[in-house]
Amino acid sequence: MMNWKPTPFAIAGLAIMSTPLIVQAKIYTSAEQAQKILFPNKSFSKAPILITEDLQEKMRSASSIRHPFQGERIWRSADGSWFIIDEVVGKHEMISYAVGINPQGNITGIEILEYVESYGYEVGEAQWRKQFVGKNANDPIKLNQDIQNIGGATLSCKHITDGVKRVVLLYELTLKTPALAAKPK
Amino acid sequence: MRRCKPLLGTYVEISIQQENGVDEISLAFAAIEKVQSLMSFHDQYSELSIINREAHLRTIAIHPWTSKIIRIAQDIHHHSEGLFNCGIGHRLVEAKLLPGNIDISHHDFGGIEDLQFVGQDCVISSFPLCLDLGGIAKGFAVDMAVNTLKFNGIHSGSVNAGGDMRIFGNELQAIHIRDPKEPSNVIEIGSLMNGAIATSGLYFFNRDQQQSYIINPLASKHSDIHQVFSESFSIVANECVYADALTKVLILSKQQNHPCFERYQAQAIQIAA
Repeated sequence: MMNWKPTPFAIAGLAIMSTPLIVQAKIYTSAEQAQKILFPNKSFSKAPILITEDLQEKMRSASSIRHPFQGERIWRSADGSWFIIDEVVGKHEMISYAVGINPQGNITGIEILEYVESYGYEVGEAQWRKQFVGKNANDPIKLNQDIQNIGGATLSCKHITDGVKRVVLLYELTLKTPALAAKPK
Repeated sequence: MRRCKPLLGTYVEISIQQENGVDEISLAFAAIEKVQSLMSFHDQYSELSIINREAHLRTIAIHPWTSKIIRIAQDIHHHSEGLFNCGIGHRLVEAKLLPGNIDISHHDFGGIEDLQFVGQDCVISSFPLCLDLGGIAKGFAVDMAVNTLKFNGIHSGSVNAGGDMRIFGNELQAIHIRDPKEPSNVIEIGSLMNGAIATSGLYFFNRDQQQSYIINPLASKHSDIHQVFSESFSIVANECVYADALTKVLILSKQQNHPCFERYQAQAIQIAA
């Protein structure tokens, strides 16, 4: 049975109290959990790749994402599956996500790891973003954690769509034929 | 535990109260993917695209979920006196808000009311159609995900598809919605148990300088087709499919007491910008 208790303004049309979000950080799953979700019962080992200037440029033009891809968050399983973590940084949000690719080169799934939304800070600034790297759900950085259910106009997931484009290109150009990939020294 | 995936063109978040339940959440996401593959306008092989291409030529057998959403859409169309109508796909194609998979140049398109059932899960149309379920499918997908979670033994949680959400279980949960004046701020508008809320606002579209995707199906003048507004409109209802669809009736009628809200036991909330 539905139970809806509106706050008084909603009934009386009174002035509205609104609270600034400042930073809304949502941490969903860790990289480890995401790997288990996308590939249950498979083990992966780290397979970092050196992203050359040329490759970086190709990924940039394929996805229109400007900040560089980081090649150290790539894992491979014995059967040729890949698990890749990337992040996209928009004007107002930063989202890290994991992509699973099977040995045939098909995407098996996409899982959002973290969603950080901010206004008043420049999300694009690397220094500012650093404070979120490697945090998990138990860390105190989870600001506004009492605000869980946020409704409103639909947010487009275009940034992730663009991000996945560059991950697919990375696979096509290097991971598919590992001999071509430049290993970091 | 809480997981999030990019689906339905937005971020879909599923939260359940218990800490284990990865597989149950995966099944709920799969239900949303199923709705997406049946009802996507973008995918030319979806059932919706087949209906749009061929329903005026032959009888089409459809999935029970597609039947269900069509029946709900027709019911709301009827009781909103045409304010809710999915037969506006060509308007969105014209505005380049949807891809042009269909030749829209030569047709007088019918509406959702022109689709007739010739069996439980078979439809045929008297006119060519260019239906878009974008105004109702997100809410329907949220409901299907909630049903899947409940069916698999999850007692309490929520599914939030980029702002359209449903809460289930025996716990009142605080609901915040974005302030249309300043979308970085949120307003606590109440608390909800076992219900859904959907919100329409154009603040992200206006910010990103896109054309309004809210179409007035009854517009007689060309300039009235795309509804432009700055406030936000929410509907609270038992199920998300009704909450989602009825926001369009609220936007277009601007009546918080439109008779069709009572019929669907829905409540309207309007927040000025």
